[in-house]
Amino acid sequence: MTTRRAARLVAPEIVAVVLFLLFLFPFFIVVVNSAKTPFEITQNPLTLPTDWGKILQNMVTIWTSVNVQYSSSFLSSVIITVASLLLLNVLSSQAAWVLVRTKTRLSMGIFIIFVAAMVIPFQIVMFPLLTWFREITALTGVRLLRSFTGIILAYIGFGMSQSIFLFHGFIKSIPLELEEAALIDGCRPVQTFYQIIFPILRPIHATVLVLNGIWIWNDYLLPLLILGKGNKVMTIPLAVSNFAGAYVKQWDLILTAILMAMIPIIIFFLVAQKYIIKGMVAGSIK
Amino acid sequence: MRKTKHPPVFWLFLAPVILAFALVIVIPFLLGVYYSFTNWSATARLGDSLKAVGLRNFAGILKDPSFTYSFILTVVYTVLNMIVINVVSFSLAMLVTRKLKGRNVYRAGFFVPNLIGGLILGYVWQFIFNNAVPSIGTMIGFASWADAGNLLLAKSTTATIAMVLVGTWQYAGYIMVIYVAAIETIPQELIEAAQIDGASPFRRLRAITLPLTRQAFTITIFLTLVNSFKQFDVNVSLTGGGPSAMFLGQPIYGTQLLAMNIYNQGFKSNDMAGGQARAVVFFLVLVIVSIIQVSVNKKREIEL
Amino acid sequence: MKKLVLALAALLVTAAVFAQGITLAQNKPEIDAALKAYAAVWSKANNVPVTVKSVGGGTGMDLDSQLKADLAAGDMPDIFAINGLENYKEWADLVLDLSGERWVKNTSVAFKYEGKVYGYPVAVEGWGMAYNADILKKAGVDPKTLVNYSGYKAAFQKIDAQKAVLGLKSVVSMAASLDMGWVTAHHNFNSLLSNGLPYGDLSVVNALLAGKVDARRLSEYADWVELLFKYADKAVLTTGNYDAQVGAFASGQAAFLHQGNWTDPNFAQAKVTFPMAFAPHGSMARATDGIFVAAPSFYCVNKNSRNLAAAKKFLNDLVFTEAGNKYMVLDAGSIPAFSNVKLNPTGQLSRSVQAWAAAGKIYSWNQYYFTEDFRNKTLAPIYNQFAAGAVTKAQFIDLMTKAFQGLAK
Repeated sequence: MTTRRAARLVAPEIVAVVLFLLFLFPFFIVVVNSAKTPFEITQNPLTLPTDWGKILQNMVTIWTSVNVQYSSSFLSSVIITVASLLLLNVLSSQAAWVLVRTKTRLSMGIFIIFVAAMVIPFQIVMFPLLTWFREITALTGVRLLRSFTGIILAYIGFGMSQSIFLFHGFIKSIPLELEEAALIDGCRPVQTFYQIIFPILRPIHATVLVLNGIWIWNDYLLPLLILGKGNKVMTIPLAVSNFAGAYVKQWDLILTAILMAMIPIIIFFLVAQKYIIKGMVAGSIK
Repeated sequence: MRKTKHPPVFWLFLAPVILAFALVIVIPFLLGVYYSFTNWSATARLGDSLKAVGLRNFAGILKDPSFTYSFILTVVYTVLNMIVINVVSFSLAMLVTRKLKGRNVYRAGFFVPNLIGGLILGYVWQFIFNNAVPSIGTMIGFASWADAGNLLLAKSTTATIAMVLVGTWQYAGYIMVIYVAAIETIPQELIEAAQIDGASPFRRLRAITLPLTRQAFTITIFLTLVNSFKQFDVNVSLTGGGPSAMFLGQPIYGTQLLAMNIYNQGFKSNDMAGGQARAVVFFLVLVIVSIIQVSVNKKREIEL
Repeated sequence: MKKLVLALAALLVTAAVFAQGITLAQNKPEIDAALKAYAAVWSKANNVPVTVKSVGGGTGMDLDSQLKADLAAGDMPDIFAINGLENYKEWADLVLDLSGERWVKNTSVAFKYEGKVYGYPVAVEGWGMAYNADILKKAGVDPKTLVNYSGYKAAFQKIDAQKAVLGLKSVVSMAASLDMGWVTAHHNFNSLLSNGLPYGDLSVVNALLAGKVDARRLSEYADWVELLFKYADKAVLTTGNYDAQVGAFASGQAAFLHQGNWTDPNFAQAKVTFPMAFAPHGSMARATDGIFVAAPSFYCVNKNSRNLAAAKKFLNDLVFTEAGNKYMVLDAGSIPAFSNVKLNPTGQLSRSVQAWAAAGKIYSWNQYYFTEDFRNKTLAPIYNQFAAGAVTKAQFIDLMTKAFQGLAK
């Protein structure tokens, strides 16, 4: 093998490794500095810590700190994300199915309206949403603001357009024979959908779950408005901002809090990597 | 008997999403547009001494230099972001689709930043720019990096570039995955045939790879356009809208993008109607630009 | 799954319980822990759950924005903090008249509007130029000369020349980033408004609100700002946060600090031992003899509160119970605004404030006559541009003048 050919084979490897390290550099900074005192952090942000045990100490401080409310925010984030994801998948897939299978102008019209709504930025609805939700509470007594109900409803509203769009594209490619056979067998439509179609949608379910999951878990603005800071129900990004936005920036605790916010989703990703990337690919090309 | 065009299951399955759509999007949207023509403030209850004021809020936007600045800045930021992200992710995709050892690890590594929320990213990078970069500078001999005036976040121009850097770091992996999928659908035979014909890598890129990934470009450009235009989280945590800059002879917040400008107008300046009017303008611009972008791209796709 | 249901149930139950309690929202994150601890104790003693929300300054949500969101959500706290007239006007419709409360007779600094008392004074606070007495002694600077611009200029020059010997990075620790706009556009701005004037004198304030600028006073003030920026550490000035600014002074890297007595807990945490005290601001050519002391922050009671009795009792207990006094003065480090409280704070700067106040040498806090929006959106960027060296002193004066003239419209 000539040196030139060898160089060409190795060069991309080196470039890849360098870029890889560059990309992960911020994580290194977060982990390394979570184990130092604030003074050490400002003086030597790049060196390895002397006492790795400090990470655990900091983590306990954050987990139990009344200021940050991390443990309750974590639980709230899980509840909100899981509930929203489940509802979005179920409700969007069934809606997409009837929209695909019903070939009328009304059906097409509804679909187009849903898809067009994907462009609506949050900013144009965020102010009225608050007053409107409050009106609903006044009219019906159902508490929407500062509650799980409200934020989950909001996520369904904001997420359904993209989800229906993705399901719609996928369902179009499912042959009608399966459903026709089921009809002949005497299945009612609801049964047909949930027993036959729903399981077939597995790849697109994965896509939708991943895309919505990443967005909802990390969302800041919507929870900021609907849940507010310092209230009973908070999500992790709110808790971190509550903490990091105060006058005094305790970088050791902030970085540890950030580390604790990142860990669950990184673990989730490492475990479900294959599905995530496959799902994303399938979804976007369609 | 002819089946009804819309069987009960149609409405049954659609009802929940239509309800959510109406409650969360349609009604607030219509209310919002209506409010932008009034003197609405969120502390007033719906209908309480609400007066129509015509186009006064929109006129107010023109008089406010900070909105014009935010608008221009957002356009600049969006264009920069779009270019940098797409160039970087396409290059990463090219890199990762070669026969590299451990390429799945690299792919995962590039993608991980996308899993972290923008707010948290911003705080991490703020720390890096203000504290780690000076240290690196002193370590590798660029003492000037430690000089306060040279910190990226100290001037509004470089702080905007910092936002592009962070935005790229956040999205490149996500966009890369889309490009990877597109590249992997290119039949290997085409590339090998070109190689045998003696085509240089650059020529192969131009003649084969780029044209066959056109469809992916429509999607990625749309995504990066819309996401950059709507950027808020990173803006809040990385720069907070600062440092100041001079615009039309007035000092204003120098890195405040449109989304933050709208938010601040409503919540900090206590001018909900004004904020709403800005949001309407924001929406219209976004819609127009998206439509143009998608139709232009679709035409080019079809031309193929 | 069972755990989730239990957790959800627990959250709902707590929600129900808290519905009968009171909520207090305030804007000092540095006393959050102490306040929450006291609230927990009071809660148990009175069988009323208390929720404390502390929303700090900086970008994003500050207390005022949070309160507006709370109001829109139908979740207004029972007790909330305001600072000054402009802030009161925003909440005037919601604020309960407290003129009949027991503590009113024991204080002279409650917030009053048109003869009625609406605000409970949280603490007496003060600021001037904090100086490190040891460093000044070593440098041969007599604090008694720090009374006007020329005095400070001479002192700064002298100390600057001996920086290396004294181990200083800069003479003054000053912050002027947009995040720290409250240091420049609120506090430092106040020197322009009230330095050298009798306590409560609003002549300068009213003139500026009407768009009339006293050119000489503004020019002298600009000299002072220029001096502070010149001798400050550039890093802290342009990008430093509160921690960095206070830390520079605490670790002996700066001889002066532009902050107030609320920094005492920070010094206690950093275990600072050098002697320090306040000197007047040098914002005028003639000598001024006093520092800025007031009760800037007030607790108001929401008149639509569902638990008015508990809210009022909470405030009364702060003043009239031992535990309340101990929390206020010792845990939160505040100088009490009430004559019956005999405890004294332990921090040096708080003691300095008390000394100046006892001698009657105080000037008012007038920045709150200008809206928060004006100070943050219009003034803070002007200071920031000046600090970054992007505008000259003449331009600074010009921009400030235009800003005030804009108020008259």
